[in-house]
Amino acid sequence: MEDLALAAIDAALKTGVSFADVRIENSTTIIIELNDGITRKSMASRMKGAGIRAFIDGAWAFAQTTDLTKAGMRATSESVAKLALATQEKVAERFTINGPTFEANVQLDVKKPFDKVSIDEKMDFVKMIDDQARDFDERIVSTMTIYGELSSDIFIANSLGTRITLQNSIPRIISIPTAKEGSNRQRMQESISLRSGFEEMETEQAQNIGTKAAKLAIDLLSSKSAEGGIYDVVLDPALNGVVTHEAFGHAAEADNWPAHSTVLEDKIGKEVGPEYLSISDDPTLVGMRGSTEYDWEGTKTKKRFLVKDGIFTDLLHSLETSSRLELEPNGAARSQSFMHVPVPRMSNTFMEPRDWDVDELIEDTKHGILLCGFNYGYTQSAKGQFMFQASHGYLIENGEKGTMVRDVSLAGNILEVLAKIDAIGKDFELEGGTCGKDGQNVPTMTGGPHARIRQAPVGGM
Amino acid sequence: MAEKLGASQAEAYVGQSRAFSIEAENSAIRNAEEKSDAGIGIRTVINKKIGFAFVTTLSDDDVREAVTKSVKLAKASIPDPDFVSLPSDDNSYPTVKGLFDKNIAELPSEATADMIIRIIDASKQVLEGRNYAISAGVQSSSGMNAVVNSLGISCSEARTSIILFCYPIVKEADDQTASSDYQITRDLSEIDPEQLGDSAAKLTLSILGPKTIEGGEMSVVFAPLGAGTVIGHGFAGAISAEEVQKGRSYISNAFGDVIASEKLDIIDDALLTSGLGSRSFDAEGYPSQRASIIEKGVLKGLLHNSYTANKDGVQNTGNASRPSYSGLPSISTSNFIISPGKGTLDELISEIDKGVLCRNTADQPNMTTGDLSAMLYEGFYIEKGEIKHPLKNTLVGINMRDLLQRISRVGNDTRTTLSMITPSFVVERATVTSG
Repeated sequence: MEDLALAAIDAALKTGVSFADVRIENSTTIIIELNDGITRKSMASRMKGAGIRAFIDGAWAFAQTTDLTKAGMRATSESVAKLALATQEKVAERFTINGPTFEANVQLDVKKPFDKVSIDEKMDFVKMIDDQARDFDERIVSTMTIYGELSSDIFIANSLGTRITLQNSIPRIISIPTAKEGSNRQRMQESISLRSGFEEMETEQAQNIGTKAAKLAIDLLSSKSAEGGIYDVVLDPALNGVVTHEAFGHAAEADNWPAHSTVLEDKIGKEVGPEYLSISDDPTLVGMRGSTEYDWEGTKTKKRFLVKDGIFTDLLHSLETSSRLELEPNGAARSQSFMHVPVPRMSNTFMEPRDWDVDELIEDTKHGILLCGFNYGYTQSAKGQFMFQASHGYLIENGEKGTMVRDVSLAGNILEVLAKIDAIGKDFELEGGTCGKDGQNVPTMTGGPHARIRQAPVGGM
Repeated sequence: MAEKLGASQAEAYVGQSRAFSIEAENSAIRNAEEKSDAGIGIRTVINKKIGFAFVTTLSDDDVREAVTKSVKLAKASIPDPDFVSLPSDDNSYPTVKGLFDKNIAELPSEATADMIIRIIDASKQVLEGRNYAISAGVQSSSGMNAVVNSLGISCSEARTSIILFCYPIVKEADDQTASSDYQITRDLSEIDPEQLGDSAAKLTLSILGPKTIEGGEMSVVFAPLGAGTVIGHGFAGAISAEEVQKGRSYISNAFGDVIASEKLDIIDDALLTSGLGSRSFDAEGYPSQRASIIEKGVLKGLLHNSYTANKDGVQNTGNASRPSYSGLPSISTSNFIISPGKGTLDELISEIDKGVLCRNTADQPNMTTGDLSAMLYEGFYIEKGEIKHPLKNTLVGINMRDLLQRISRVGNDTRTTLSMITPSFVVERATVTSG
C-alpha cells in the first residue's frame, strides 16, 4: 500500500501543489437482519479504494479512485492536483498546512476476529436474540433484530512524511421489538456496540438484549404521552451523552472557526457553564466505538478537554484547523470511508462524573421528569439551537419516579442550557451511537452520569 | 455464475455516478471535489433464502467474490415463506422525459464556480453593512443504473441533477443566527443563483431576535420545507407496505378509510417530466407508474415493491428503492405530491388568529404510534393574521393521525423539496410548547 500512496503523493507534488494526502481503505462488512424469525437481509460488502487530497494556498481538491494500481493512483492524483491549482485562483484566504508527522503500524488485538466466526454462528446469534424478544411476552407481535460487523484496514500517508497503518473492528447488535395491546402499539430499540471482535457479542449484556428491549416495549404499553411544558429534567447517562454531544460537542468542532459557524467562536478560554461542569472527548479509551489511535489524517489522537471546570478549553482539530488557528493538533479528523474527506469529529464524548447519588438526585427534584434512552438528536451550531428525543421517561412526583412517558423531546440553546445544569451524578455509562455530519456517518460513543437541567422546555402531545 | 453456484434466481444492480462539487465558506471558494463511483450489488435466491453482497469496484475478481459471498449468505439464511420471486419482464417500460440534461452532464467546472460566486454576491447585497459569513455549494451529478436478473429483466437509464445551496450566518451584538435555502433540479435552465442567494439572506435576517411564547393549543402553518419533512418522511414512511404488513406503522388496515381531511389529495408519480424521483423502472427493474395515495382524505393505496406486493397478492406499484448498488431494495416514494389548493403562504397566514408558522423542521414522528414532537427549526409566531416574531426553543406536538385529519387549508405555493413536492398547508390545532 505504501508504494501506491507514495506514487500518488509524488504525482501531486510534481503537478505543483504544496500538500497532498492519501487514504487507502480495504473494509468488509456483514449485516444480518431478522424479522419475526426470518432472515430479511443478509448482506456482505467490500469497500476498496483510495481517497486523494491536494492542497495549495488555501485551496483544497479531493477525488477518489478504486483503481489501486500505481498508474491509476498517479492519474487520479494528477487530476486532483490540477483541480486544486484551478481552484487556487479563486480562494480568498491563503494559508499553509503544517503539523507533526507520525509513523506507526497499529495492529488491533481482538480475541475473536470476525472471519474466525462462521456465518452460521452469526445467524444463530441473531435468531436467538430475535426469538428471545418474541418469547418474552405474547404481546410482542413483531421483532426485528440486526447484527452488523465492520472490519477495516486503512493506510494513511501525507507529503509531510506521515505513514500510518490502522485497523478497526466493530460489531453491533440491535433489537427492535413491537408490542401491541388492543389498538395500542409501541416499539423499542436497544443496541450494543463496541470496538472489538465477536467476543463482545458473547457478554451477558449482549446475549440478553432481546429481553431488555422486549421488556421496555411492554412497559411502554402502559406509558402516557408527556404533557408539553417547562420541567426540571433529570437526564440518564444515555441522554446526558446526547446533550453533551449535540449541545456542545458539535459547536466545538474547529472547522466552525474559519467558517464562523459556531456560537462558541468568541468563547475559547471563557466560562460556558458552572465550575463543576467538565465535558471531554476521548478517542484513547480502549475498546470504545469512537476510539482510534490515529485519526484519518494520521495524527496521533489525544483526550480533548472541551470544557474543564466550566471553561471552554479544547477544540476538535483537523490538520487544516490546527494550522490555521495555530493551535496544537489533537487528531479529531475522521472520514466515513475513503470516499470522503476527513473533517473534525467527535469520538467518545461525555460529561465527567461528580458527586450526586442518583437516588438522592431524583428525590431532590420533587417535581420533574426523568428522561431515558435515546431516539435521535441534532443541532445547528451557527444558531446554537439543538433538540433531542428520549425513547421514554418517568414523571418525578414528590421526589419519586412515577408514571412512564414516551417520545419526549427537549429543545434548547447551547449557550443557555449548560448554565441550567445544577447537579451531576457520580455514576457513569457510555452508549454506542452514530454521528452524522456533512453527509458522513462515523461511529461514536456518548454518555456520562445522571445530571439535572433546571426549567427546560419539554415537548408533548 | 450465481446459478452455477446453486442460486435459483439472481440479480445484478450496477450503479455508476460522477459528481462535481465546489464549496465556499466565509463567503469565498474553498474546495472542489470530483467523485466517480461505480459498483455492483448481487442478490441471489436459493429456496426462498436470500443473500446479497456488493463491492465498490467493477473488476472481475471483486465481482466474482461478491457473487460467491452472496450465495454463501443465501445458503446460511432462514427461508422467508413470504418471498415469491424477483420481478419478471412481463411488462413494458413507460417513457419518462427530462431525466438527462446534457448541459448538466457536461457542465464545465468554470460554470459551477461562476454559479457559486453569483449566489454569494446576491446574498452579500442583502447583508451589506452587517457581520456575516456565507457558506454555499454547487454539486452537479450524472449517473446511470442498470438492473439485470435471471428472469429476463434488463434495463438501464441515465440521469442528471444539480443542487445549489446557500447558508448565510449573521451575527449581531447579542444574537447570532443562520438559515439556508436550496434549489434542486434535473433541468439546468431552472437554476437561478441570484434568487437563491437573495432568498437565503432574507430568510436569515427574518429569524434574528427569536423569542419564546406562551404555549397552548393553536394553529400550525407548515410551509413547504416543514411540510416536506412531516409528510414526505413522516407520512410516506407510514404507507410503506412493508411497515404496514409488519404492524410497525401508525397506519394499519385502513385501506379505503377516511384517514385525512377531505382537503388532502396525494399522489406518487414516478412518471413526472423532469421529476427528481422520476425513472422508467424501479430499483428492481419493475416498470414505474403513477399511483393515487390519498383522494379527498381516503387512503387509496400503499407503496409496494415486488416482495410486499407478492405477499399481499396485489399489483406491484414499482416503489422499490436502493441506495445505489450498496443495498437491498426497500420501499420509498418517487415524486410524492400534495395537490395544490388555493392561496399563497401569506394568504394562509392572514386567516390565522393565533398560531405558529413552521418553515422548517427536521423531526419525524414515531412511526409506530404516530406521535410527532417537532422542534420549529425555523418558526414564527402568528397573531391576528400577521407574523409577529421568530421563535426559539419551541416544539409542536400532535399525533400524525390527528395532523392529517386537521388539515384545514392547502395552499398553491408548490415547491420541490428534497423529499416531496408540496404547497404550504394549515393544521387547525396542535399543542405548542415554548420556553
